[in-house]
Amino acid sequence: MTDRRIGAFICGCGGNISDYVDIEKVRDEVEKEPGVVVARTAMFTCSDATQREIIDIIREQELDGIVVASCSPKLHLNTFRAMARRAGLNQYVYNQVNIREQCSWTHTHDMEHATDKAIRLIRAGIARTLMGHPLEMIRVKTIPRVLIIGAGISGLQAARLLSTMGIEVHLVESAPEVGGQVASWGPLFPSGRSGKELVQTLTSMIEKDDRIHIHTSSQVVEKTGNVGEFDISIQSSDGKRTSIKAGAIIVATGFQRYKPPQGEFGYGLPGVLTLDEFRDVLDNSDSGSIRYNGRDIKNISYIYCVGSRQGSNDEGSHSYCSRYCCTAAVHTALLAGEKQNPLHQYHLFRDMRTYGKQELLYEEALQKGSLFLKFPDEEPPSVKASNGHLEVALKDQLTGGEEINIGSDLVVLVTGMEARPNRELIDVLKLPVGKDGFFNEIHCKLRPVETVMDGILIAGSAQGPKNVHESTISSMAAVAKSAGLLMKGYVDLEPFVAVVDPDLCEWCDDCSNACPYDAIGKIEKGGKAIAQVTTAICKGCGTCVPACEKLAINVEGYTHKQITNMIDALAKEVV
Amino acid sequence: MTTVNTVFIESIDPRFDAAACMNCGVCTALCPLEIIPLPRMLFREVMLGLEDKIIENEDTIYSCLLCKMCEANCPAGVPIAENIRLLRNYINSALYGLGR
Repeated sequence: MTDRRIGAFICGCGGNISDYVDIEKVRDEVEKEPGVVVARTAMFTCSDATQREIIDIIREQELDGIVVASCSPKLHLNTFRAMARRAGLNQYVYNQVNIREQCSWTHTHDMEHATDKAIRLIRAGIARTLMGHPLEMIRVKTIPRVLIIGAGISGLQAARLLSTMGIEVHLVESAPEVGGQVASWGPLFPSGRSGKELVQTLTSMIEKDDRIHIHTSSQVVEKTGNVGEFDISIQSSDGKRTSIKAGAIIVATGFQRYKPPQGEFGYGLPGVLTLDEFRDVLDNSDSGSIRYNGRDIKNISYIYCVGSRQGSNDEGSHSYCSRYCCTAAVHTALLAGEKQNPLHQYHLFRDMRTYGKQELLYEEALQKGSLFLKFPDEEPPSVKASNGHLEVALKDQLTGGEEINIGSDLVVLVTGMEARPNRELIDVLKLPVGKDGFFNEIHCKLRPVETVMDGILIAGSAQGPKNVHESTISSMAAVAKSAGLLMKGYVDLEPFVAVVDPDLCEWCDDCSNACPYDAIGKIEKGGKAIAQVTTAICKGCGTCVPACEKLAINVEGYTHKQITNMIDALAKEVV
Repeated sequence: MTTVNTVFIESIDPRFDAAACMNCGVCTALCPLEIIPLPRMLFREVMLGLEDKIIENEDTIYSCLLCKMCEANCPAGVPIAENIRLLRNYINSALYGLGR
């Protein structure tokens, strides 16, 4: 028998659980479990009153472990950890069992079996607590310095803002100049200021700033260390290496423009241009007339979604929406209309996505005579040359499927964004990349600038297609996240990391090879080589655990002992 | 297959104004005579310069009561009845040589 003193608390969740699970019966059953000295039910365990009651019980009964069976730990893990701390317990002797999402909500039709399942789940939770022990968070010191990779509009904005918060910045840019793609752009919506002007404003601020160090024509070639204290090597184009210590890294490497292959919507024929190429034509045309190859332009057809929203979801295909192109094309059409009047402009689209304030641009374009024609997804328009002119044929859904032929002087392919080929950087940073080639965030809505690598953040269109506005907003988020990490001077990490049993380990490097984060190395200890885990890098994923034949590696909180004890408890009376 | 005719577009009275139309279809739904394809699709055909389509729809254009049910309810403020009058004007002169 055990001398542990565990309390089990079963929540009714105001009927969410108790309507489908007989929680009184559950209590009667789990009370008999080894180590359990008290079992209670409550209507709302998370309420202040119930938490106070539990704290009293913990003190009176001198509990050394608690299990709350309630909702998902995503919702209340931290609530009950804080409760355990207030009762004077180590927060890691608390375990939460999910009997709402994973039991009552899924088995609303069958109370008897739902109750039985809840009992087993809680038994497993108790079994895990029995074999567990108090843990301490891992405290890591942080250096108040950030490395930003990419000095486009996102990187520049991030550098400026970090500096205003007193954090030193190293800005690494592979090109010889800072500014990125936006530096070459003309007027932008809604301010009407040119991309060049925006970049100049930011650059002049940054160049005057002592806290910001700019490294142009440079690449990141090596990264070691962990959150709070990364060691980074950068190499300039003349081969010179510089090493930088930084607490966090912001990756703002941007996008590249989609370049259509020859023949896609007639690309390669004279007069078929991408949107960027057309912007250059516009910028180089005098006011009063748009000329291309010595000819006056009177009719322009725009074809949308080129290189975006392609059907297949395969590796390397562009199934995503590039977000900025609809607005960019409509804005370009308005600028073209200002250059020359009359000008016939036809927009061949699948779906218009001029969202938010950009809707005003669409309305203005409509009223100034741009015509919008919707083609079916499965029947894209075709472009061919005849008698020195371009003919664009499409089926217009808005006139009930009329087949229409548009004679055009120019065909503008509204091309999207694609991920930059960053193979080397991805290898150095070990960052996960999505199917679309862009860097992966942890959660697109809840944690949009954080990556699975602690201390490495992503900003701007390196994460996915964005316009300038959205890019700078995301870089501000990355600034807030990195400053929040560094300004306190330390970070506390969850202690659920791999630990090596030095007696069992006989260094074979299987665990080190299995580790996706490079967290395991070799050290000499007690006269033999054994594996050593760098706890600040370890994510507790457990990939190394089954790789070890000697069972010498355990993940804290999920040790072999705990897992086997949980399985025995789950399968009790069955096996 | 019909071809966009920019000469025809420019020959229409400049007062013809359907640019703000966003193809919502309120006009079609409210028409007491349930005239098809008035006016949403017809105006589109004008703006695209599909002259044949306009001639083909001569009867529909003349069937309109000019009751302005559609115009009063158009969310984009398109002067629908006025546009119909301008199209009648065009047909009168182009097909029948009237009013030259």
